[in-house]
Amino acid sequence: MTTTTDKSSALTQGVIIFVYLAVLTALEYGIAIALPSVPLLALVALIKAGLVMYYYMHIYNLGKEDAASEGHDSYAYKTSTNRFGLWLFLLSDSFVFGGLLVSRFNLLGMERPHLNQLLGLGVTSVLLISSFFMNRAETCMAHGDQKGFLSGIMITIVLGLAFLVGVVGLEWQLAKLEQVIVNKDVVGGIFYMMTGMHAFHVLTGVIFLFIVWRLGKMGFFTREQHWGVEAAAVYWHFVDVVWIFFYPALYLIGKVA
Amino acid sequence: MKQFLSTPLMRGLLWLSAGLLAGIVLVAGIRLAMGLPATGKYLVTEHAWVFGGFVGTMAFLVGHGVMGDWFKWWRGQEMPDHREDPPGWVKYFGPSLDHKVIGIQYTVTGILLLVIGGTFALIFRTELSFEGAQFLKPDQYNTLMSLHGMVMIVSILLGIAGLMNYLIPLLIGAHDMAFPRLNAFSFWIAVPAAVWLILSMPLGGVETGWTGYPPLSVNPNKIGQQMFFLGVFVAGWSSVLGSLNLIATVVRMRAKGMTAFRMPIFVWAAIATSLIALTATQLIGLSFQMVMFQRLFGMGFFDPNKGGNPVLFQHLFWFYSHPAVYVFILPGLGVVSELLPVFVRKPLFGYKWIAMSSLGIALVGFLVWAHHMFTSGMNEYLRVPFMYSTLLVAVPTGVKFFSWVATIWKGKIDLPTPMLFVLGAIVVFLMGGLTGPPNATVSTDLHLHDTYWIVGHFHDTLFGGFVFPFFAALYYWFPKATGRRMNETLGKIHFWLMTPSFLVLSFGMMRIGLLGMRRRIFDYDPELGFQNTHIVLTIAAFLIALSVLIFIINLVNSIRKGDPATGNVWNSRSPEWQAPSPMPAHNYETPFEVVGEPYDYGLPGSKYVQFAKK
Repeated sequence: MTTTTDKSSALTQGVIIFVYLAVLTALEYGIAIALPSVPLLALVALIKAGLVMYYYMHIYNLGKEDAASEGHDSYAYKTSTNRFGLWLFLLSDSFVFGGLLVSRFNLLGMERPHLNQLLGLGVTSVLLISSFFMNRAETCMAHGDQKGFLSGIMITIVLGLAFLVGVVGLEWQLAKLEQVIVNKDVVGGIFYMMTGMHAFHVLTGVIFLFIVWRLGKMGFFTREQHWGVEAAAVYWHFVDVVWIFFYPALYLIGKVA
Repeated sequence: MKQFLSTPLMRGLLWLSAGLLAGIVLVAGIRLAMGLPATGKYLVTEHAWVFGGFVGTMAFLVGHGVMGDWFKWWRGQEMPDHREDPPGWVKYFGPSLDHKVIGIQYTVTGILLLVIGGTFALIFRTELSFEGAQFLKPDQYNTLMSLHGMVMIVSILLGIAGLMNYLIPLLIGAHDMAFPRLNAFSFWIAVPAAVWLILSMPLGGVETGWTGYPPLSVNPNKIGQQMFFLGVFVAGWSSVLGSLNLIATVVRMRAKGMTAFRMPIFVWAAIATSLIALTATQLIGLSFQMVMFQRLFGMGFFDPNKGGNPVLFQHLFWFYSHPAVYVFILPGLGVVSELLPVFVRKPLFGYKWIAMSSLGIALVGFLVWAHHMFTSGMNEYLRVPFMYSTLLVAVPTGVKFFSWVATIWKGKIDLPTPMLFVLGAIVVFLMGGLTGPPNATVSTDLHLHDTYWIVGHFHDTLFGGFVFPFFAALYYWFPKATGRRMNETLGKIHFWLMTPSFLVLSFGMMRIGLLGMRRRIFDYDPELGFQNTHIVLTIAAFLIALSVLIFIINLVNSIRKGDPATGNVWNSRSPEWQAPSPMPAHNYETPFEVVGEPYDYGLPGSKYVQFAKK
């Protein structure tokens, strides 16, 4: 993706969107405490997902016209095809997560597992910040800043691993102390299934990012040709979008079971 | 033989066995180290088998080499999008990137599974000829009956994928699919899936029917059930990734001038099918995964004692599995619409309506799933809305029938074997269609649910919607793939043997269903008075098998000895017939431009495609 905007304003846009997302997350947490309203929480989650999909995942690129002069074998045309294919995959994948959300509300209704709220907010913030750095890395690449790209993607990887440690390493153990146990009742089953499925996607994302980082270090990507970076970024933000819905569903909506 | 043993397929299967063994040993070892019991009824515990299955699947894909290009990408090497295949038959066992090779791989594997699934049916059909136990144990009957269902479903998925893979790039004038490597991957991941499905037999079998409803599917004595779930889960990925590729191909790779409403109808059907397969398949994967986890880790999703809900499984399951029947039939109906104008030499009646009716069936198909659950104890207020949404499917389906009839009307009808199968498909699918509304209507369904009537109904729809059009397509496009024709006499014997036998079979099934024969049961009461019908059904089933045997003999013989047919044998307007047969490796020598309507047969001076000058 080649952009015409200059680098600093593109980076500033990333910061502004991050601030919006952070404020909305705080607002979400406040709503959950002050007036536990499901429609409001759903609205905030939808706005957050919309912001991420538009500004971080560049969903508008799907509608972009291809340059008519270039043949089907050009890099630009192939990149558009790849982009379309990736979004089809995300559409397909979102049905898995949608199915999990439906199962959660079907089985638990307006109850939620007893979880550590501070840790939940913590991992959510970590994932949000990682998305910010991912966007920064991609923007750097689009403007030919190899160094900024490498550091951004490395920070994203570290934050992704921190998220995994937070969810699988800490939250799963703490939840066990609160009697949220895999085979005790369906509350435990849903909690481990949802977080587990999401953590699996985070893990694949981290591996994907690592491959991209290594290729980047070898000088594989250029300002004009960096589809791999864009794909990793879109996938990473998608994992973030999923958590935008999973976080309120697991931590904020309903009464403690 | 030696050459066959050294193909990538055999290497993959070797790796699969090694992976299965490694996974089993690893889990059993860990369990031993943790002081948990490691051995079970089937040597090791369920955990070990399932984990071994996952490792085996990955090992197959790595050992086979279908992911080789990706591994090289990850190390920073550029790989070309096209590579030359080895000459001869060896390429069909390796990771070829050519969509035509992959299409044939899919089709042949589909036919192979069709034969396996059909054999299962013959065995338990023979058992059912007489009341009481003949030569099967109830357990074995259940396993054969369940696997007949699922093996046939996978066979259909592979069959339609074969047709779509071979034909879509040719019909739209692309040199290959949008993602050739993903295409190869989608096919080869189906091979371990078939292995796991078959492996479920020695591991205690499957007793639930193809639906795998809990709580029956949670029975811990049947590890086969887990391998069944694993097999379907893996096959699901083949379907998801294949349809992703197909949508991307059609949207991005069409020839110049091929606007949406100048695409062949088969392309529309493929798009509609792929939209369902791309999205809804994830939910059968999820529901089966949830049962697997319930069995492995005791997660209580569908266990009421733990606050779970068995009806939730049925919702998730049918959200895929009802639209899935449209996945099975839409390409077949597309084939019917595609071939009919060729053999009546008339334009297709109502092209736009047909195109939109495929999409209509696909979209309405997403809203009808709960009609399988009228007797399941779901909320009663859901019944009537789902009844009406289901009846709505008859509208776009009816559009297709009217178009077919109007296309045939006053046509110059030619009756070679493919056309016979097209007409057979229309008749049989009509029977399937007409027996549908009684199942959709709540009041009648409460009586018909889970009887042999339902079995008759869906065999009619799947034969009319898939089997007949599939055979039509094979007879029709066989010269394109091989440069030879299939034997007409044998083809006609195949048709005239199969069609009446099949109609007897399906009507007989419906008859005994109305008289009280339950589906999926091992035995029945002779007092119900349909003993003789059961014998007739068994004979009919064997006649169908005989006709398919004739087809396979014809197929195998014609590959080598069939009459040469290199030109436009059917006098078709479609671009693939303007090129030489068998199709050259990179499809069209020069690109074509679409300059007219696809089905204007018999209109003087009309032209569909115009090839560029060299």
